[in-house]
Amino acid sequence: MRDHHLGEFEQIVLLAVLRLGDDAYGVPIRREIEKRGGRKVTVGALYSTLDRLEAKGYLSSWFADPTSERGGRSRRYFRVEPEGAEALARAKEVLERMWKGVRLA
Amino acid sequence: MPEQPPRLAERIIRWLAPGREGDIIVGDLREEFQSRGGSRLWYWREVLSCAAVRLSPHRLTAPDLRQDLHYAVRVLRRNPGYTLTAMLCVALGIGVNSTVFCFVNSLFWEPLRVAQADRVVSIGRTDDDSTCSYRDYQELDRRSAAPGGGLFSGLMAVDDMSTSLDTGGPGGVSQIIMAEAVSANFADVLELQPQAGRWFTPEDERPGADPVVVISDGAWSRRFGRNPTTIGQRVRIGSDWYRVIGVAPGGFVGLSPPHSAEVWLPLLSQAWVRDYLANPGERDRPRVRLVGRLAPGRKLRQAEAEMKTIDAQVLREFPRDNALRGTITMDIAAGASMPAVREFATMMAVMLLSVTGVLLLIACVNVANLLLSRSAVRRREMAVRQALGASRFRLVCQTLSEGLVLAIGGALLGLVLGYWANGLLAHSLPALPHMGTVSLNLRVGWRMTAFAFAAALASALIFSIAPAIEHSRTDVASSLKGESPSRRMRQRDIYVVAQVALSLVLLIAATLLLRGLQHARQVEPGFAMDHRLAARINVSEPEYTPETGRLFLDRVLDRIRAVPGVRSATISYTTPLNMSGSVCAMPDPTARPRRVSSDVIVPGYFDTLSTPIVRGRDFNHRDLPSSPRVVIVNETYARRSWPNTDPIGKSVWLGCDPNRPRTLAQVVGVARDAKYESLDEAPRSYVYRPLAQDWAGFVALIVQTTGNPNDFSAPLRTMLHGMDSNLRVYDIETLEDFATESLWRVRWQAALLAVFGGLGMLLAAVGLYGVVAYAVAQRTREIGVRLAIGAQKADVMWMVLGRGLGLTAIGIGVGLLLGGAVSRTMGGLLYGLSPLDPVSFVLASLAWMLTAMLASYVPARRAMRVDPVVALRWE
Repeated sequence: MRDHHLGEFEQIVLLAVLRLGDDAYGVPIRREIEKRGGRKVTVGALYSTLDRLEAKGYLSSWFADPTSERGGRSRRYFRVEPEGAEALARAKEVLERMWKGVRLA
Repeated sequence: MPEQPPRLAERIIRWLAPGREGDIIVGDLREEFQSRGGSRLWYWREVLSCAAVRLSPHRLTAPDLRQDLHYAVRVLRRNPGYTLTAMLCVALGIGVNSTVFCFVNSLFWEPLRVAQADRVVSIGRTDDDSTCSYRDYQELDRRSAAPGGGLFSGLMAVDDMSTSLDTGGPGGVSQIIMAEAVSANFADVLELQPQAGRWFTPEDERPGADPVVVISDGAWSRRFGRNPTTIGQRVRIGSDWYRVIGVAPGGFVGLSPPHSAEVWLPLLSQAWVRDYLANPGERDRPRVRLVGRLAPGRKLRQAEAEMKTIDAQVLREFPRDNALRGTITMDIAAGASMPAVREFATMMAVMLLSVTGVLLLIACVNVANLLLSRSAVRRREMAVRQALGASRFRLVCQTLSEGLVLAIGGALLGLVLGYWANGLLAHSLPALPHMGTVSLNLRVGWRMTAFAFAAALASALIFSIAPAIEHSRTDVASSLKGESPSRRMRQRDIYVVAQVALSLVLLIAATLLLRGLQHARQVEPGFAMDHRLAARINVSEPEYTPETGRLFLDRVLDRIRAVPGVRSATISYTTPLNMSGSVCAMPDPTARPRRVSSDVIVPGYFDTLSTPIVRGRDFNHRDLPSSPRVVIVNETYARRSWPNTDPIGKSVWLGCDPNRPRTLAQVVGVARDAKYESLDEAPRSYVYRPLAQDWAGFVALIVQTTGNPNDFSAPLRTMLHGMDSNLRVYDIETLEDFATESLWRVRWQAALLAVFGGLGMLLAAVGLYGVVAYAVAQRTREIGVRLAIGAQKADVMWMVLGRGLGLTAIGIGVGLLLGGAVSRTMGGLLYGLSPLDPVSFVLASLAWMLTAMLASYVPARRAMRVDPVVALRWE
């Protein structure tokens, strides 16, 4: 498999999904990113990234049963796949290597 | 009750993200909407951001399309025979259209071959071929350069003229060429660098300056073998001698495309221009065309508006008798410059583009037919995909992408074909007479490529729309069971009928033109063409005066008549079906003078051309400059002027100028009517004047020979140069050549239409074959049953043939009706042949019937050979 480079937002999304564990679906993922990442995320941008990560094999998703608070619609839950975790680790490693010995004035 | 999210916003999301994905997003948003306490503003912001992401160009080049194209390429590669046939059909249509487009492009949009051609503007005047007089040019130039930065970085005057070029020396061939007389800033305005030598300077315009000329790259290589010593050499243009000072850059052919200028002269070095300018009262002549280069930052329309204002001022300040009409127009200089050429080109373009458009349509119908027959084969595949959840839209997209791949392949092939066809067209063009040296840029450029791909796109749409609809309509259940509806056959039948009809129209048009040509050949021209040769010579000032010229021509005639193998020889100003002249000749001295066609001839002219004098006498040697003026008229002139009376002895008043007294001449003879300018002209009035009383220095020697007239061409040239080594002798041609050339346009159109008609027929025959063959394949089982229960092979063959011929017959019926409507517009090209000429219609229909027989015979034979046992076991 080709070595995909993870973008910053992709890393943030993957980390959010990891942090949320079994509760990772659209609404909490957005909250998590807003709370910890301090940035606003629109639903369109979020899903296009989630879809892309799923297409790369870093995430998998499944549909839960419909709920009434969503007007009878189901939730789509996400889980980080081993490839995704590996890619995250690699990205972190790269950053750490780059930061080593760097001091900002 | 909790507040509901805006319904419209939800709907927009569903539209942006259909299916389950939309469900999830709407669900997420609703959940959050509730927890945020129902902020509609927030909801709408989310929807907008969603739209921005979804509709970004990056996302719109849907992965679907890429996938569809990928799949289409795979499908097509798996069926190379079908793919190649379809692509060839498209390629043929697109190739022919691209070539015609290229032709039209070069006549209308081809920019000048100079640096930054998009800043060079051609300034014209509505209702006029030229822009203004030279004096007005000076005024416009001065005023447009006025304070605050000029309109132009340079404005120049140009006048194109037909003249002759001699490189001098004994045995030299004189040729009629196109020259451009230009102001000295010519090269500055166009930013042209000379290839050798230099361009003009203001010094070259001064009175008394040494006359100089710049020659074209073409003239340099054709006439001087690209010899560097050409610079400084003297050449004769018209009657005057000029020194060659430079050679224009290669590819530059002047400002009058499609005609190529061979030489450029300073306008002010021309004697006739100086004569006009020497007369301070003359404000209207000489007339010139203006070409300028817009100053940096100047916009075309703004400059045009300012020029209009300046022009109006000039016209107001310098009033003149015959006021200029029309207003200034300004356009980027591109394509043919002369309105007359543009008019003719428009006519040609409409004809060619409609014919090739029909051809492309036939090709498209053919491919649609192929796709439909494929779609029959692929019904199951489509049904399976639909059953598995593919939307109709996706299936339509899939079919369209297959069409697109076919069309793009066709366009690429078509460009190759077009490149080849361009070469063919370029070769056939210089053979067109009456156009001088014509050069059209027929290279495959970006415009032609863009056109080819646009045509490909359009045709992809045309030929895949029907199969696409067909696919999306597939009834899943019955298709999966392998049943086939009969509706498709009927649709394909309609296609075949349309093809036959369209190609028959082309065939009919071509046959009509060919028959028209044949008809023209049988027209009695009223003079004899065989064994006759015409040599045009220039016996003009300063070498000859009318007196010495007449003496010289007398000597020439005596010498030629004495040559063995020469039956007779004569002189005239015009050449039949080639060059014409006119004079004002009115039987009534008080009537307004009107021009009638006329010729200046010597005694014996009618004998040489075998045109009988029906009454009175020929000119003779007693008709001298000093004796009473005489004319000979033709029958039509006599009949129109003096009905039912003897015209001999009647008076004719010659002269066009209403301010000058007219000359009285007496009719001494009546000549039989003839065709003078073209073979299809209506009878026209004609007046002959004797050379002894009406001098023309530019005349044709017409020689009647006993043997092949072409054999006399070289000896004649030698003899003429032997009598005067500086005599300008132009091309020598036979009278039959003139007749052939006068038919060039019809011949050219007939040839093109014959080629296009043939191609159309070929394409349609392939379509017909496909339909009949498909029908046979579909009915194999039925045919097997028929054979098994005792049908004769011949019956089966006729059953299949009958189908092909039946379709053809309907197509021919429609085609005949269409052809009848179309041929009415061709009346002017048929030389008196009726546009509804039954022979042409029958011939074209028969040709189609024969083709249809051939196209249906192959599948019919296959049907005959069906083995009942195999056929019945099929399925």
